[in-house]
Amino acid sequence: MTDYNAMADDDFRKMLNDWLVENYPSELRFPAERMHWDQCGDWYMTLAKKGWLAPGWPVEHGGMGLDANKLLILMEEFESYGVGRTPDQGMTMIGPLLIQYGTDEQRAHYLPKILNGENIWCQGYSEPGAGSDLASLRTAAVRDGDDYIVNGHKIWTTLAMDANMIFTLVRTNKEGKKQQGITFLLIPLDSPGITVRGIDNLGMHDEFAEVFFDDVRVPVANVVGKENDGWTIAKALLGHERIFIGSPKMASLAMNRLKALAESANMFNDPLFVERYTVLKLEIEDLAAAYRRFVEVLKRGGKIGAEVSMLKIWNTETQQRITDLMLDVAGENCGVSDAIPAGDTAVSAPGEFIGARPTTIYGGSNQIQRNILAKAVLKLPS
Amino acid sequence: MEDISLQSRIDVLSEEQVMIQDSAVAFIAQDEELKKVRENRFKQPGYDAQTWAEMAEAGWLGFLVPEDYEGIGLAFSDISLVLIQLGKGLVPAPFSTTAVLAARTLVKSDNEAFKKARLPALISGEWKPAIAWQETRASLDVKAEKVTCADGKLNGQKLFVPDAGGADAFIISAAEAKGTALYAIEKDASGLSIEYAQRVDGGFYGTLTFNNVDAGEQVASTAVAEHALGGALDEARVAASAELLGVMTRALEITVDYLTQRVQFDKPIGSFQALQHNAVDLFVLSEISRSVLLQTTALFDSEASDQERAIAASQLKARCGDAALKITKDAIQLHGGIGYTDECNIGLYLKKAMYLSSLWGNASAHRSRYADLVL
Repeated sequence: MTDYNAMADDDFRKMLNDWLVENYPSELRFPAERMHWDQCGDWYMTLAKKGWLAPGWPVEHGGMGLDANKLLILMEEFESYGVGRTPDQGMTMIGPLLIQYGTDEQRAHYLPKILNGENIWCQGYSEPGAGSDLASLRTAAVRDGDDYIVNGHKIWTTLAMDANMIFTLVRTNKEGKKQQGITFLLIPLDSPGITVRGIDNLGMHDEFAEVFFDDVRVPVANVVGKENDGWTIAKALLGHERIFIGSPKMASLAMNRLKALAESANMFNDPLFVERYTVLKLEIEDLAAAYRRFVEVLKRGGKIGAEVSMLKIWNTETQQRITDLMLDVAGENCGVSDAIPAGDTAVSAPGEFIGARPTTIYGGSNQIQRNILAKAVLKLPS
Repeated sequence: MEDISLQSRIDVLSEEQVMIQDSAVAFIAQDEELKKVRENRFKQPGYDAQTWAEMAEAGWLGFLVPEDYEGIGLAFSDISLVLIQLGKGLVPAPFSTTAVLAARTLVKSDNEAFKKARLPALISGEWKPAIAWQETRASLDVKAEKVTCADGKLNGQKLFVPDAGGADAFIISAAEAKGTALYAIEKDASGLSIEYAQRVDGGFYGTLTFNNVDAGEQVASTAVAEHALGGALDEARVAASAELLGVMTRALEITVDYLTQRVQFDKPIGSFQALQHNAVDLFVLSEISRSVLLQTTALFDSEASDQERAIAASQLKARCGDAALKITKDAIQLHGGIGYTDECNIGLYLKKAMYLSSLWGNASAHRSRYADLVL
């Protein structure tokens, strides 16, 4: 087993890049939307066979055991090669959570199934009545012998149609503080009483779904942690991964597309356009400086707290402003779905624009991020 | 007042840096009420001579001068910690103009005898030169055109010379047959007339008019003058940006404190979400600025090329100039009516931001230079 952390950074980068060039399907580079299993399943299994599916997990659980620095390098290399995301909730969410809070039995049962592709996971947190106010969720699990009977409705469940397992937050106690009656429960999606319905987003892509639970029987053994302790567990999961939402890569890619579009329309002769373009370019360059500052913290082995929300706010709002300018440059093509030729590539300004909408909503809306910063960093009163 | 910046949360300072920062914090603590700022504004020279003498005594004026000329030769990442504090305290002293721009222009010049004689005098505070380079409003070009030197006589006009009133001498860029050179003249040189324009922050700009002024000693030959001046100006822009970061940081601290204290509708107004979100946006802006400053000072401490320095200085000055104006403007709004009075200190921060953000090129000028160099 290679000790990746002992490798020189440049060697590690080169190893990753060489392997990607060899193994990542070129037609899947820089995918415009989240890939479904029928597109990326083979790639998932390629990663699994290589042992690179779970870069952040400890080696004893089948991961690569990367430290924060090497993990960042891996993310950077995958991003810059244009590697699309697989249905990765098993690796990024439930795996780390089980490693930290699961029982030995749960780890032995679930972790290998993530690593061999047998279990594809999705996340069941949000509900129609519980979005930003997640703790008000109402999907209920009522004890019946060694089982719970689950009834309720989850929504915004990314790629639920590709998954066969869902990790959920369910209500097990309606008394007291709403955060305290929530339990973390693992549910097989093929359980009788579950219905999954895809939802088309504004990009006309069924990336997320809603999941209905109608008298679904789930063994009590599927609880992670203790009953009514789910909120604490779910919150504790926000670890290293939060830095990635601040990576300037996505915005840089959008900027490259804007550039291609603008060059094909001779916009760089227009001083007004150049000023607007330069403002956005500097927004990204300055974000990159902030991102590197946070990355240094992780490299030193330090911890990142609530302040990392600032990267999400800056990153996503800059992306949206880039796509605003794309629409402007596109002229009447703003109303055309198909990509238009731009240099040696093709760019869909409306596609980019629509694709940027959810960035300020998911992962805690930017308004919620501002609430967090106001309380946790500025210590403003309630 | 509580430090709300991320420095203490996520950045790591060396022991030496902590010492430097602590001494600067102690320095500005002497005038927490900003009394000296108020006493010295709108009257010549527009800053506090006593404060300047104390800085000289503490050895600060030699921070950016190599040991060969009796300086200390510190790194930009170190002295930026002092400049941030000077900005926080609105310290009325021409540090960036004299100890950075003038000192660094001299260090990069090629009249060794002059440097050996004068840099130690600058460091001790005995001699205060001011750099007169600008000939056109909003220009970043260091090539002299309008001020000429022919037959040993200077003619023409220099604009926007900060703190000219307190200067003992001027270092002037002038066009010769072979290009731009630098000359040093005394303030009382015959044929030199100075008009002063009062600045919003209480200091003064000088307009220098030369009418057959004896050119005096050449400080930098045409071989190095533009390079010396251009390089020193980029360093001074980094210094001004660090000061701006201090200005915006303290303005935000004061404002957050006010939001916490001020009660309306029976609640502290800082509990209202509209004001919280506004304050958070200002905080994010200040930390983005700090991140760019950290990156830029590291670059200036490295072997980076002139071009890389110019790009980085413009990136930084554009960010800090805009951010300081935005933060101090919104700070006035968040204070409400009291913020629009001269008796409330928050307005002093807005005015300092107005001065420093436009000094040596405002955000638009620097974005434009950035675009020319990068796109």
